[in-house]
Amino acid sequence: MHPILGRVDRLAAYLGAWLIACVLLAAVFTRLGLGWLEALALLVPLCLVYAFACLSAWYVSRAMPLTTSSVPRVLASSALAAAIASGFWLGLARVWVAALATTTMFAPATVRYGQQLPFVFALGVLLFLLSLAVHYVLIAFETTRQAERRQLELELLTRDAELRALRAQIDPHFLFNSLNSISALTASDAPGARRMCLLLGEFLRNTLDLSTRQRIPLADELALADRFLSIEQVRFGSRLRIERRVDEDASACLVPPLLLQPLVENAITHGIARLLDGGLIRLDISRRNDQLAIVIDNPCDADAAWARPGGMGLENVRSRLAAMFGREARLDTHTRAGQFRVELHLPCDSVGADPRVRPTE
Amino acid sequence: MRLTIAIVDDEDLARAVVREYLAGMPDVEIVAECANGFEAVKAVSELQPDLLILDVQMPKLDGFEVLELVGRDVAVVFVTAYDQYAIRAFEVHAVDYLLKPFSADRLGAAIDRVRERLGRGEALPVHDLAAAAQPAQGPTHRVLVRDGSRVHVLSVEKIEYVQAQDDYVCIRCEGKEYLKEQTLAELETTLDPAKFVRIHRSFVLNLDRLARVELDERENRVAILSDGRRLPISRAGYARLSALLST
Repeated sequence: MHPILGRVDRLAAYLGAWLIACVLLAAVFTRLGLGWLEALALLVPLCLVYAFACLSAWYVSRAMPLTTSSVPRVLASSALAAAIASGFWLGLARVWVAALATTTMFAPATVRYGQQLPFVFALGVLLFLLSLAVHYVLIAFETTRQAERRQLELELLTRDAELRALRAQIDPHFLFNSLNSISALTASDAPGARRMCLLLGEFLRNTLDLSTRQRIPLADELALADRFLSIEQVRFGSRLRIERRVDEDASACLVPPLLLQPLVENAITHGIARLLDGGLIRLDISRRNDQLAIVIDNPCDADAAWARPGGMGLENVRSRLAAMFGREARLDTHTRAGQFRVELHLPCDSVGADPRVRPTE
Repeated sequence: MRLTIAIVDDEDLARAVVREYLAGMPDVEIVAECANGFEAVKAVSELQPDLLILDVQMPKLDGFEVLELVGRDVAVVFVTAYDQYAIRAFEVHAVDYLLKPFSADRLGAAIDRVRERLGRGEALPVHDLAAAAQPAQGPTHRVLVRDGSRVHVLSVEKIEYVQAQDDYVCIRCEGKEYLKEQTLAELETTLDPAKFVRIHRSFVLNLDRLARVELDERENRVAILSDGRRLPISRAGYARLSALLST
């Protein structure tokens, strides 16, 4: 679609600009020996026709996009196109001058008109080049606008994908069960019910917030896992016991968000929840130089050997680690004598050492 | 009519909600609170409540397995956070299916349905309970047997053979015998057909236990098990056995 012809408002502005240019040119012509009326009689019809002829500059600008064509080629083809267009204009001017010569009013100006024709040609070249420049600007403008729109659409899509990933990440049954616990607490322990609401709210907000970021300090991820465990503690009571040991210098390591939480969730849904008396979840995080090791142990039902420990959560973490660290990271699981262990090894970049990470807002 | 109820849920708070709701209802009595499936089976045997309010997700023995074991003796209302079991729940003739969190009114409606069903004296068509209680995917890994108030969980690979005895099956497992109220045909459908074969009208055999096949003095085929025990093989049973062994 032609950027000017395709829109009435643009076409009107374009023709308006040409009319103004036409009047200015007429002013110049009066200095060269023509009367105002004579100059306008020559120029107004010529300019109106040439205005439309110059719209063809669009095809030149399309054929020679500035981004991909070499400068000499653009200059050469612009000059050639301008010369052709102006040649056409000159021919038109000659015909028009001849037509005016037949009228009694303008016949006396014929010779003076003839003197201006070389100037008319130069003017034609200039005007065409100007029109070409306008077209290039318009195209650049459209391209930028489209890029912006695409960028916006892309951001929306990404946001959507993140939310979908998040929905997959948070088990809705965790929410239903937590709400049921709150429902129970409202009658027997109102402060407890409120505490649970606050924990749940914080957990959800943290999850939403963290999941939009590329990498987060391990300390943030640990805080999220702690909230999750506090909520589950309310549900499982004495059946859930937790022990954690974290190297101090490990908490600054940058990890993908929601790395620990799914593993801790697994330890509960596939471990503690399936045991009559529950058990102990042990979380051990150590850092040796630039290597981070995360180990989570939990008891599991030894009789339920067929039950797949982990499933979606483990696969999710594994694939995200692979995407981020390639072969530098790994996730291993072992099941032995009623104990399930998941071990993560990944390189540790700490805050500041990594320019890719966004600072915490 | 006074309704006696046992609440079964592995979470204290989940039981507390039900207890609280029931406290405000007339003519109901909580006779037991059970934290797992084994306690539930025991409670049903010893206290014979009219109704089990039963969680689905529980350690070791889930709600469906509890229902398989005691379903003919008691009405069941399932309570769970998961909506995907609803169809299965009604297949096993649960009276109602409540999704956590639920209101006192919703529980009240379920109790009304229980009274209505008990009032009609509807006999529960239990014979297909066990089959329906199995998850749809794949053969079972364990067989549950109720022995009074106790529950035995038999690992399928340890079962030697199963013998039909009228309306019961006798399961031989690790040298012991267990009686279960189920037909041999029903049990057979839940077992892995690559491992268990019907060698006789009354016998399903675990192939791993088969030592050899012999002919007896009347030219009948006999399966000799690894512990020396002898089981009869019918003509059709032998065809099935050889088909399985030749693949």
